[in-house]
Amino acid sequence: MVISDSMAEDRLLQNIINDSNTEYWEYKDGSNYWSSAFLKKLGYNESDIDVNISFFLNKLIGDDYREEFRDNFFSYIKHHTHFEQNIQILRKDGKLKEFFCYTNEKEAIAQKDDSKILFFKEKKFRTNEKVKKSNFYYREFAKMTNTGSWFIDFIKQKSYWDQQTRKILEYPEDYLPSLKKAYKYYAEEHIELASNCFIQCSMEGIPFDTEIIMLTANKRKFWVRAIGKPVYDNERNIIGIRGIFQDIDDDKSKILTLQKTSDIIASQNSRLFNFAHIVSHNLRSHSSNLTLITDFIEDVDSIEEKLEMLGNIKDISESLNSTIEHLNEIVTIQTKTNHKKVEVSFSETLDRVIKSISRIIHESDTKFNIDFSQLSHLNYLPAYLESILLNLVTNAIKYKHKQRSPEIAIKTYVSDGKKYLEVSDNGMGIDMQKFGNKLFGMYKTFHYNKDAVGIGLFITKNQVESLNGHISVDSDVDIGSTFKIQF
Amino acid sequence: MKLPSVNLACIIDDDNVYVNLVKKIIETKKLCKNLMIFSDGKESIDYFEALLQNINDESSIPEIIFLDLNMPVMDGWQFLERFTKIKNNFNKTITLYVVSSSINPIDINRAKSLNSVADYLIKPIRINELKAIFEKSA
Repeated sequence: MVISDSMAEDRLLQNIINDSNTEYWEYKDGSNYWSSAFLKKLGYNESDIDVNISFFLNKLIGDDYREEFRDNFFSYIKHHTHFEQNIQILRKDGKLKEFFCYTNEKEAIAQKDDSKILFFKEKKFRTNEKVKKSNFYYREFAKMTNTGSWFIDFIKQKSYWDQQTRKILEYPEDYLPSLKKAYKYYAEEHIELASNCFIQCSMEGIPFDTEIIMLTANKRKFWVRAIGKPVYDNERNIIGIRGIFQDIDDDKSKILTLQKTSDIIASQNSRLFNFAHIVSHNLRSHSSNLTLITDFIEDVDSIEEKLEMLGNIKDISESLNSTIEHLNEIVTIQTKTNHKKVEVSFSETLDRVIKSISRIIHESDTKFNIDFSQLSHLNYLPAYLESILLNLVTNAIKYKHKQRSPEIAIKTYVSDGKKYLEVSDNGMGIDMQKFGNKLFGMYKTFHYNKDAVGIGLFITKNQVESLNGHISVDSDVDIGSTFKIQF
Repeated sequence: MKLPSVNLACIIDDDNVYVNLVKKIIETKKLCKNLMIFSDGKESIDYFEALLQNINDESSIPEIIFLDLNMPVMDGWQFLERFTKIKNNFNKTITLYVVSSSINPIDINRAKSLNSVADYLIKPIRINELKAIFEKSA
């Protein structure tokens, strides 16, 4: 046994691991060290054996454990992938001794990054032969967990599936998997992910454990947890990959549904919050005005004064009406999302909007610059698109710059596969630092403007988001604003 | 009939209906001599900050302020933040009441915790309440 001075000197584990009563290996810079307790337990003297991995794999390890240990060991040396397994090692007297072999993932000991430690714990009870030999447990377990096994042999250029893999991928029992066309087992959007996993595993020996969408023989997409580990020969060459596919489609779709449901609940909750806000602030202010006025009517003496008050009641009832209309608009956002989306034309929709507000467009002398050439149609709720365009266009006119007449640029485009609508104006702009985060809130107005109601952008945002879109704004005071909607 | 002894009161509120009603009540009941009305916090803080330049003009400093919370442009909270900074520069006691339709306990406690706020009044404000406030400041 060779052990270098430096290795013995600076071994950080010295205090914890006592050489004579702990069975372990240390592996550092390509040299092996086996503890004296390890040798003693097996009955060897240092002169009996060669301390290296190929001697161990060829002469000492029990046949049933060779492959598993070899892959685990090399993965640990190369990529620090921790493992634990049962192992049988040949004693000097020719009998096999059973150990539990593990790396120190869970041990709280200081370890230098470049040295790797393996522990061998003597097993007090031998694994029952019936359990060990029988495939019954493996098969039942695979069936219960919907897990199939597979193996890719790089030497023979073939891949192998067990019956369970064929079953979850809906292939017949005599189907021979193709290595060349392996991409066809994966959904298009995940072919790249799959090839990355397999290439890295075969070239670098990096194991993978990933969730991926696969494609069955019947072209049905489903979620799979795929685990793959490299297979080594005795010379540390990677000669294959083996692993498992577990059908996790039920769980995964439950998680996705849950996520969707929780998103819906969150957005409904925020609408409810706004609803409560209108009720508590706006409806309450009307009702309190009514109380104040009736209080006052009772208080004054002359009939004339009492009658004069009636005019105020009319004002209050009008405000009350418009608040209730706003409430109604917010509630219908929710109910309308159940309606069917159809192919809507941007230019036809904009035409309708322009026609409906032709008077204020004319009075304000508004110019349009329209470009729908990159994206002319959208699968959307027609009423929403109209309402979104109407709100953005009227906003641009309402908050025009005092010194110039409004110019509104509207364009649509596709970027990164996503569809966008942009509405820019040359209006008075908004101080984004001050109001940026409140801009889409309800009853928030930022200008001294009699027409400002503070409901338009709130509704636009809700409409966009109820169809899973996103709205953002960029604005400079005195220059103008650009609203960008991602559908 | 006794003469009103509050010289100037100030209402900061964007609800026209409410403002007109309170104005009418104050006039009818002769609760104060003059009334100033602002429809948001910005207009009014601009007024008070300008007053600092002419601090001896006592007749332009209100004895009572009724401040709404929910307003456009600058809301009541933003107003209070800036008003608190300059309040002590006036050599006259200004009593400020927050008057809001919000019954949210968070709003109420937040307002009452500010020492520039004399009290938090929940709308609808009653005529007797209004009278009592003016009598207190008289």
